[in-house]
Amino acid sequence: MNLPVPKTAAEEALGLNLPNRRSEEWKWTDLRRLIDAPYSRQEATARAADVDRLVASSPFADVKAKRIVFVNGVYDAARSQLAQSQPLAPPQLTDDVIVSIGRNLKSAGVTLSFEGNADLPVEIVHVATGGARQAIGLRHAIQVAAGATATVIETFVGEGDYLCNAVTEIAVAEGGRLDRIKAEVESPAATHLAHTIVSLSKDAALRDFTLTSGAALNRQNGTLTFLGGHGDARISGAYLLKGKQHADTRLVVDHAVANCTSREVFKCVMADTARGIFQGKVVVRQDAQKTDGKQSSHALLLSETAEFDAKPELEIYADDVVCGHGATAGDLNHDHLFYLQSRGIPEAEAKSLLIAAFVGEAFDAVEHEGIRDALNHFAEGWLAGR
Amino acid sequence: MLEINNLHVKLEDEPREILKGLTLSVKPGEVHAIMGPNGSGKSTLSYVLSGREGYEVTEGNVTFKGEDLLALEPDARAAKGLFLAFQYPIEIPGVATMQFLKVALNAQRKARGEREMTAPEFMRHVKERAAKLNVSQDMLKRPVNVGFSGGEKKRAEILQMAVLEPSLCVLDETDSGLDIDALRVVADGVNALRSPERAMIVITHYQRLLDYIVPDKVHVLSAGRIVKTGGKELALELEEKGYAGYVEKAA
Repeated sequence: MNLPVPKTAAEEALGLNLPNRRSEEWKWTDLRRLIDAPYSRQEATARAADVDRLVASSPFADVKAKRIVFVNGVYDAARSQLAQSQPLAPPQLTDDVIVSIGRNLKSAGVTLSFEGNADLPVEIVHVATGGARQAIGLRHAIQVAAGATATVIETFVGEGDYLCNAVTEIAVAEGGRLDRIKAEVESPAATHLAHTIVSLSKDAALRDFTLTSGAALNRQNGTLTFLGGHGDARISGAYLLKGKQHADTRLVVDHAVANCTSREVFKCVMADTARGIFQGKVVVRQDAQKTDGKQSSHALLLSETAEFDAKPELEIYADDVVCGHGATAGDLNHDHLFYLQSRGIPEAEAKSLLIAAFVGEAFDAVEHEGIRDALNHFAEGWLAGR
Repeated sequence: MLEINNLHVKLEDEPREILKGLTLSVKPGEVHAIMGPNGSGKSTLSYVLSGREGYEVTEGNVTFKGEDLLALEPDARAAKGLFLAFQYPIEIPGVATMQFLKVALNAQRKARGEREMTAPEFMRHVKERAAKLNVSQDMLKRPVNVGFSGGEKKRAEILQMAVLEPSLCVLDETDSGLDIDALRVVADGVNALRSPERAMIVITHYQRLLDYIVPDKVHVLSAGRIVKTGGKELALELEEKGYAGYVEKAA
């Protein structure tokens, strides 16, 4: 018999029970324990100079794009180049804690609808500043019409201690394609929770890349469902974590129909006592014959105390499929290091070169050259500051 | 330039000695060949000189341009002018060959207190040398040694040598895995680098390479020691009679 557990102060403030380690998919990220003090729903006041500085700190500040700015969860008309559209109906995944938190926080957001070929990327910059332990709820929708293509960047920056809870719903219609790039470079004291819910119609394509380098506590969920044949999803990511940072990604790819392809490739760098987690689940339904689903996660541990956990899950009910997973974790290769040093490259520089090469392979999944360059530049800065 | 005196070396985690009192003196402009059977310590010598981890020097010393070589980190040895052409060049995914060469060259120049090369200067510097060694632009764009054939890897090693312009080149079995045409390209590349200021140590199992890179001195390494030194005719003698006589002598 389970007795109801009294809510913690943090749970009271969010209006729900947070999951703990007894729940299998939260076993490495015990939110109930990790969120140990309440977040405030009071609206924070941001100083214009701080906002401008933080907007400019986006890794993609130099990328030519149309920008939308949210400050502490509120659309900033003066700094945005695109209008805010109508708010959306709540998403259907009612049992998901991140969606529920978002609902309780009365999240705000934009709906981006793309028809034809978008000429420039759209960057949504989320800024958090000025609040004492404020809770920010965000909720966006990205809709790509049949045959249309678009590139959307979601950037998260901030300072201080806050919770950012972001839910993004993506629908790509028949033959459409979305390139989505997310950069989570929140304040080092922040908590970042996110859930991205994607549906791909027949012949639709998704190129999704997430950089995770900010926040003390990070949990990102992704749910992708193929609705029609010959859908093609490439989901990739990179972690650059140090100090005591904790980042956990859980992806569920649902091959509900036949003839679709999914790829997940994550490259994770953990220094100091940072901890990275990658959980990838691929479900292949009985009718989803000719599914091609593969996932891999590779970790580079830069200290004895850094940690990486990987949990691949394959749930396959069809018999004519190609599915696979792979995970590696290790130190820098000593032969590589010696070879570089033997050519005159000092040890620290040689290490940086090898780490940049390791994550650079994840950045290669991004087709937009300017965005890819910005990611490499960000990695260089991260390595220099380590 | 290089003075090796009574060098004794063992693997860090094994008691058995590999080099047992090796002595060798190399002057600027000289080309020395070190020949020996498998297991005689040829590769160990090249790794100890370049500073690879895992080896322990138990006795003896090595001076390079008057300085204690063994006290230097591998990168400092390189900046001082030492270059090892690897028997098995390492593949480094994700690091473009061109970027690698530029970082290496400028790191060495910086360590020597020289001005770093600008991008156009560097491009010119590499292109001239790459053309002579049949190293294509495509190879330069690819990650270091990744997907290179055996011959391409060896040519890439010699290109690195030509770009970095070391004063002491150690070539560890550079001929292994090369057909006769590739051997000629590599040897031409090495010969082009011969100069009165530059010394070379050519480590090889076979005499064949020495038809193309003609040495001033030939040493026979057996069981961790140099057991015979002679002129280039010694290589021909070894080719004819084999190492048998020397191996027995050492035992």
